[in-house]
Amino acid sequence: MIKKINATLSEKITLIFLLALAIFALSFTVIIKNKCLFIKDFNPQKINFDKPKNIVVLNVECGNVIIELYPEVSPKAVERFTTLIKSNSYDDVAFHRVIKDKLIQAGDLEFGKKNKINYGKIGTGKSGLGTINSEIDAEFDYRKGSVGLARTLKYNTEDSQFFIILDDEPLFEGEYTPIGKVIYGIKILKKIKYSRRSEFVLRPDFINTIRMYRIN
Amino acid sequence: MKIFKLILLSFILITPVKANTIYNLIKIPNLEIYELKTPNNLKYFYAEKPFQLGIQKNISCTNSSKQTYDEKYKIISNNLNRYSKQFLKKINLKYIVMCENLSISGINTAGIPDHLMKTLIIDLSFNEKYFERVIHHELFHVINDGFKDLFNEDEWKSFNNKNFEYADCSTCSKKLGLDTYQNTNGFFTEYSKTIPSEDMAEVFSHLIINRYKITNDNVLNKKVEFIKNKLKKIDVTFEF
Repeated sequence: MIKKINATLSEKITLIFLLALAIFALSFTVIIKNKCLFIKDFNPQKINFDKPKNIVVLNVECGNVIIELYPEVSPKAVERFTTLIKSNSYDDVAFHRVIKDKLIQAGDLEFGKKNKINYGKIGTGKSGLGTINSEIDAEFDYRKGSVGLARTLKYNTEDSQFFIILDDEPLFEGEYTPIGKVIYGIKILKKIKYSRRSEFVLRPDFINTIRMYRIN
Repeated sequence: MKIFKLILLSFILITPVKANTIYNLIKIPNLEIYELKTPNNLKYFYAEKPFQLGIQKNISCTNSSKQTYDEKYKIISNNLNRYSKQFLKKINLKYIVMCENLSISGINTAGIPDHLMKTLIIDLSFNEKYFERVIHHELFHVINDGFKDLFNEDEWKSFNNKNFEYADCSTCSKKLGLDTYQNTNGFFTEYSKTIPSEDMAEVFSHLIINRYKITNDNVLNKKVEFIKNKLKKIDVTFEF
């Protein structure tokens, strides 16, 4: 005959503690895996824009980032950017250079595409449309969320690559061609994958799509 | 020992990448912003810690005290404010770095211009007697580096007396004096006699700080006209 033994109080407490720990660990794992859990997404159709023609919607893993373009500041650069958007050229292109809380860079159409990414050359690719001249004479306050065209060490080498800054960068004024500013969704960009060891990211996150805003 | 190496390696590998905008822009480490809002858009940096540059780390400079930075910044900016934003853009100068005890391969120097990186490094501890003139001297090297074809050295050499020869390099000679000659005889200073580009820089800097008075020194008069003409070609609005 098996004699029933009642658990002591300390045993019960230990059991409850272990159960709570297991639940916490499980939910914590789920939360950690879902990096977008507490990030607010934006539906552009629910926002009223002053200049809807200048609005671009960048869609990434955690949602929509809304960018306003400034054609009056950098007409040629904005024209290049919108030309590439309208041909869907930025779809599935990597965020190949990411500096935590500082900057994200994407737009290498030659070596940054999802299915044919080239880690040896990423960041050096071209669009095939040629380079354009830097437009850096206008005053521009490079505040958090500003979007600019990337270039090589030399001016007038802008092409398809662009960057978005996640912090104020006053030294960028007069260095890089500004094209716009993120008006909604900067927190979404902070979730883009980065590396602690290098500015260049192995197995990076990708742009899903970039589209010009259209009222439905 | 292996464990020690592994620990050291892992420590290095987990060191996070730090974004330093100044370093990314001009490739000089250990700098901080001193002043960004200036009338001609020059951006001033100061050395927070000593730094070394170059592939062989042959360029070095040390940090200075806040008091020195404040004092010398006033002098430097007063001198550089005479150059317009448009002119500085044409000659590709944007960043001024302030530090002390600047040297190249152990030889002290007043300044190091880097036309490509749009930067001029200035040694704050350089002889005060010549400090202001030397700022313009070094700025001329930025101009010269950007317009090599304009400042033709053969043409320049032809102004000198036929029996005069420059040294092979600016540090190959013992002619390093920066005092302005009473009797110029074709050259403003002893240092002018080192190489043509230093001679041109000396003429330019003397013109900028109004140390030039028209004399019957024909060689020097030709050099002065040469510099004035070339500067007008770079920027028609430029005035000495």
